[in-house]
Amino acid sequence: MATRPARSLAAQERRFALALLVPALVVLLVTTTVPLVYLAWTSLMRLDLAMAYLSGFAGLDNYVKMGSDPRFWNSLVLTGIYTASTVILQVVIGLALALLVLQIPRGQALLRVGAILPIVLAPVVVGLFWRTLVLAPDFGLVDLVTRSLGLGSHNWLGDPDLALISVIAIHTWQWTPFAFLVLLASLATLPPDVYEAARLDRASAWQRFRHITLPLIRPAVVMVVILRTMTALSAFAAIFAATGGGPGSATEILNLYAYRTSFTELNLGYGSSLAMVLLAITLAISFLMFRLRRAR
Amino acid sequence: MDRHKYWRRLVLAVVAGVGVAVWVFPVLWALATSFKTERDVLAYPPVWLFEPTLANYREVLVGSSSIVPNLWSSLVVATLTTVLTMLIALPAAYALGRLRYPAKRASGFYVLGTQMLPPMGLIIPYYLVLQKMGALDTYAGLTVIYLTFALPFAIWLMVSYFEDVPFEMEEAALLDRAGRLRTLWYVILPQVRGGIAVTTIFVFLNAWNEFMFAVVLGGNRVRTVTVAMFNFISVEQTQWAKVAAGAMLAMLPVILIGFFAQRHIVKGLTVGAVKGGGRR
Amino acid sequence: MSKGSVRLEGIVKRHGATTVLHGVDLAIEPGEFFVLLGPSGSGKTTTLRILAGLEAVSEGRVLMDGVDVTLEEPGERDVAMVFQSYALYPHMTVAQNIGFPLKMIGTAAAEIRQAVADAAAKVDIGHLLARTPGQLSGGQQQRVALARAIVRQPRLFLLDEPLSNLDAKLRVETRLELHALQRSLGATAVYVTHDQEEAMTLADRIAVFMDGRIAQVGTPREVFAQPRTVDVAGFIGTPPMNLLPARWEAATLTIGTDRLAVAARTEAPRDVTVGVRPGDVRIGATGLAARVERIEDLGDTAITSFTAGNRLIKQKADRAPDVREGESVRLSFAAEAAHLFDRATGARL
Repeated sequence: MATRPARSLAAQERRFALALLVPALVVLLVTTTVPLVYLAWTSLMRLDLAMAYLSGFAGLDNYVKMGSDPRFWNSLVLTGIYTASTVILQVVIGLALALLVLQIPRGQALLRVGAILPIVLAPVVVGLFWRTLVLAPDFGLVDLVTRSLGLGSHNWLGDPDLALISVIAIHTWQWTPFAFLVLLASLATLPPDVYEAARLDRASAWQRFRHITLPLIRPAVVMVVILRTMTALSAFAAIFAATGGGPGSATEILNLYAYRTSFTELNLGYGSSLAMVLLAITLAISFLMFRLRRAR
Repeated sequence: MDRHKYWRRLVLAVVAGVGVAVWVFPVLWALATSFKTERDVLAYPPVWLFEPTLANYREVLVGSSSIVPNLWSSLVVATLTTVLTMLIALPAAYALGRLRYPAKRASGFYVLGTQMLPPMGLIIPYYLVLQKMGALDTYAGLTVIYLTFALPFAIWLMVSYFEDVPFEMEEAALLDRAGRLRTLWYVILPQVRGGIAVTTIFVFLNAWNEFMFAVVLGGNRVRTVTVAMFNFISVEQTQWAKVAAGAMLAMLPVILIGFFAQRHIVKGLTVGAVKGGGRR
Repeated sequence: MSKGSVRLEGIVKRHGATTVLHGVDLAIEPGEFFVLLGPSGSGKTTTLRILAGLEAVSEGRVLMDGVDVTLEEPGERDVAMVFQSYALYPHMTVAQNIGFPLKMIGTAAAEIRQAVADAAAKVDIGHLLARTPGQLSGGQQQRVALARAIVRQPRLFLLDEPLSNLDAKLRVETRLELHALQRSLGATAVYVTHDQEEAMTLADRIAVFMDGRIAQVGTPREVFAQPRTVDVAGFIGTPPMNLLPARWEAATLTIGTDRLAVAARTEAPRDVTVGVRPGDVRIGATGLAARVERIEDLGDTAITSFTAGNRLIKQKADRAPDVREGESVRLSFAAEAAHLFDRATGARL
């Protein structure tokens, strides 16, 4: 009895927590953090698999090179356009549709099933569907419509201007259901008595939306924006399948540029530095957005 | 007044219906195409009534371009990823969600941070290291990199479920002499069964649908079905019916999951989004 | 029946910079129904959780049956607890809930079945064993929680406001049953509540908690009749004791401009607080000048509020007094009904 080690509930809880947590932390450290350190290192290397004899330490050369690389700046601009437009479209369409659907007394369950469909599909398959069945010249669904309306046939993925719009449309098509479902669920939890009170206070429909609905679902909207932004910054498979980043580099967002540099042109050193820039942008944006979210 | 209401509802229903049809129709169109002959596919105006054929499915199942080996690869990688992820994520999420220990905020923040990493940042080091180890085109290599997105996601989603269990549960169980481990096993885990189901589904879906890691780190032995679909279109450019049949087959598991587990999926999306966890 | 004695010695509990308990000493006898009473935040629940082993102490010792259990885990202490929220396991049936503590120590299945049936019978839920907690009413859930506690025959029952989630009528009924159950089991019970009526009816003894300290320990009668501090006096009773500042000289109290004779004499003149139970306040021709503010007639009792200067005084009687709101009256009380407290320390004189 006297030799019994002094124990306390708190210490025991600590030990138990660490035992449960350590495997996950070790795995994450080894599978994510260590590779990132390695990435930072390779971004300082000349690492060209096509010309392996030139490989070696290059200091900041890769980063300096970016400054005068028009394809890099183009990819940055495209990333900005792609991310901003897809996120805004998803939230606006998703919210509008959710507000509409909320007023339909029956059939909401059916709409939900339909909305799940794009979400569960692999982005690469979505890209393929659109490239062939939906956007192909002459025989794609969109051309079938434009032709029958007398607007003629277009090369939706082959024309540089149309291609960007097309990949934005594809992304928006696939991920708007996410915003729709989340915002619908969020709207469904709003207390009805608040609206009754507002009605008694003679607030118009627009005022009720502006002053009650929007503030109440704001956390959900912000969260949707954060998650959708992350997805857009890392968008790959659908664009890769639909246009491959082309024509030329018309749909080559930074993520695709880093990929093509690394695995098509086999310039892994420069690819690493591009990936580092993408990493920095992603972490900076998510950090800022989480700060904003907490600020309110 | 009543008349006005009726029209309003009708318009609402039509608008919502059109919105949802936009999501469903391309998939139904692909389904129809998969039963067409290549000639019917390219008919203009499109044929709505056609004689369905199973030739495309025969081709992608037992023909020269069979995707069955690819389905198998996807199944192996997705299953391995799901099992490993759940085994590691569940205990960690329990600790993060319910226990008191030092540096809790920091460890939570770390997990959240790993969830925000763009896959592009990981793939180059993995490629170089796996190449050096001769582990490209192996199930092990692909499964390890799949953990990088599955694990943080699963941990965060499960944390929100663990947090919903009343906080007296551990105390009651401890007084009932269950001890820490048995408290987790007998009292807490059964109460988050729904969350475990949701998380398992999402991890499996994400692993099944993954493309970029699979196309770079896979190869002839380990070629998942998403990579096979991509190669399909580069080889069989114009054979849309065959592509459609392959795609329907490749997406059958996830469509079935989506259909039968739709309640779980909506819940998972919202739990993750509202509480600040999950990312897809 | 000597099992179930509890001693707390100098218990101090700190959460970071704030101190929740400032040195609590307590001795509970075997078989006693002991109530920890106090307003919220007074430390009574923390004390109970320390007894359970759910909270560690910062200083002091916990002894059960003479053995120091301060460092023992909850499961090792042979105590059972009924939580305010009941904390039933929602995924288990009622029978599984009640049997869980036995299962955890490896009791044979047949034995568990028998013990569960016995415990369920004691609280009249034998017919509910196959249901899950979600299918039960609040009152039934409360009984399941009780059965889960008694099935283990622990040396000590801890109850954390177990009746607070029941509606008023059920609360009174369950109170009586709870008392009978504890008597029949003969086990020690420590019961936390902020409801003094519950405390008065259930307790063998009460410890009144105020701001992390025990202000008084005694039988319900003692606590009511002889509150040891002005805080206890102001907390116990419905409505609580009227407290008025006064000056005490010889055998005379001066309240404002009015003088009243009291039983005890003081050596030197001093400032005091005089306390009078509402039931002891009388309306008459002499005494304090007051104005009738409001009469609340509850049928079997009536509570009348008065203002005297800027003080509020309440009077309680079997029936409403024959006065009207706004009327000026005089209030008095018997000399022996006055409780005197030191103005500065609040201690009873």
